[in-house]
Amino acid sequence: MASVTGTSACMTSLSCSFKQTQVGRISSVNSVSLSINGKSFPSLRMRSAPRFRVSCAAKPETVDKVCQIVKKQLALPADTTVTGESKFAALGADSLDTVEIVMGLEEEFGISVEEESAQTISTVQDAADLIEKLIETKSA
Amino acid sequence: MFSFVSKRLSLMMMTKVCCFQRNFSSALPPLVPVKLPSKMETHFWYVLPDEVKSESLLSQYSELLSPREKKNLYHMQGDQFKKSALLARVLVRTTIARYQTNCQVNPRSLKFKKTIYGKPEVDWENGDKWCPPPLHFNISHTSSLVACGVTVNVPIGIDVEEKQRRLKNKILAFAKRYFSPDEVKLLTAISDPEIQRQELIKLWTLKEAYVKAVGRGFSAAPFNTFTIRARVVKMGGFHHFDTQHSEASEIVVESSDDPENLTRNWQFALLDLAGSHYAAICIEKENSAGGEAGVPMRLTVWKTIPFVEDERVSGTGAVVPISGLIKQL
Repeated sequence: MASVTGTSACMTSLSCSFKQTQVGRISSVNSVSLSINGKSFPSLRMRSAPRFRVSCAAKPETVDKVCQIVKKQLALPADTTVTGESKFAALGADSLDTVEIVMGLEEEFGISVEEESAQTISTVQDAADLIEKLIETKSA
Repeated sequence: MFSFVSKRLSLMMMTKVCCFQRNFSSALPPLVPVKLPSKMETHFWYVLPDEVKSESLLSQYSELLSPREKKNLYHMQGDQFKKSALLARVLVRTTIARYQTNCQVNPRSLKFKKTIYGKPEVDWENGDKWCPPPLHFNISHTSSLVACGVTVNVPIGIDVEEKQRRLKNKILAFAKRYFSPDEVKLLTAISDPEIQRQELIKLWTLKEAYVKAVGRGFSAAPFNTFTIRARVVKMGGFHHFDTQHSEASEIVVESSDDPENLTRNWQFALLDLAGSHYAAICIEKENSAGGEAGVPMRLTVWKTIPFVEDERVSGTGAVVPISGLIKQL
């Protein structure tokens, strides 16, 4: 459950970059990126909710770059399908691969990923969303 | 064998627990039961996927999985990877089922859940008359080796890694990104790149095993906040260690966040397994009066093909201690 400034949002039916293992670790965040089946929802109406800023899911180019880095790290055959929905675990990434992928993403995008955030990533889309959020925070 | 079965059946009638005959499928022979490890004893089971060649056996293995496990397997890419993932689930289910000596448990009926931190554990749901054993387990696998460690009363974490594993990133860049300053210093001091790579992989497995034993996820103990190193221990005293060197080395962990407490309670072993893998085991030491130093980890290792063959390999060339205070049984 992610808590958003001043309000609690019910996220049970939406896929979200924050996973259950984050219980107790998330402090207030100002924006949460939501994606449902790859479509992004720019606004969400809540009952008696104050403003709730939602950023869109990552650009396709970002997702593509992540796919490339993942394919390279895992030495996947060229014909392997890797999309935003691909789970790292299902692609054969073990913990060492995952941290190497994170390192590769940090170098490629010029960002720095915290352990807490890295732990929440389970799909390629999660990684891409996190990257864009970090880039946005960096340039803000 | 039949008197064994009929004794079991009468025992089953007396208990209210829901039990299944271990020999649940006419196609698969029964699992050989094993006694639970005693305190301060670790059991380590492993499977070599390359030794499991029979398609029909693999198909029978798939039948042991829960619907969710089957679904996860279906989505996995790569045959070798899929096979080792299947064997990992089979190994954990059959291993735990072996230890149920009073009540036979069908490996297929075991349920698993995760702690709030994401660490897998058995979900013993059978009600109040049934006291589940205080059994702890942890799994690790590569495409060429699948392992499961078991302890009683104390948490365990294990990690296995191919000895030949190469990083995509440069070794020191990787170490600087993830390891503690002291560990980076140690690695930097190694001039031979191949030895450096080996030491990095060994250190990685130890750190992973520790984090998995602590069981609170990667972010609760970020790799760069703790240092694992080997400390030489004098050989005096009654303990007999398995070591090629005249001095035994104990592996210790020191945390920069928590210098005193947490880290004194963990015991490590690092092994060269099957000639192909590094295996690290981390268990919590049981609280003993005075906190004895220098007590070895009592370790029994089996190589197995569930339902087919079990071979105790501790003390053989398949298990070569690298560091840590270990007594193989």
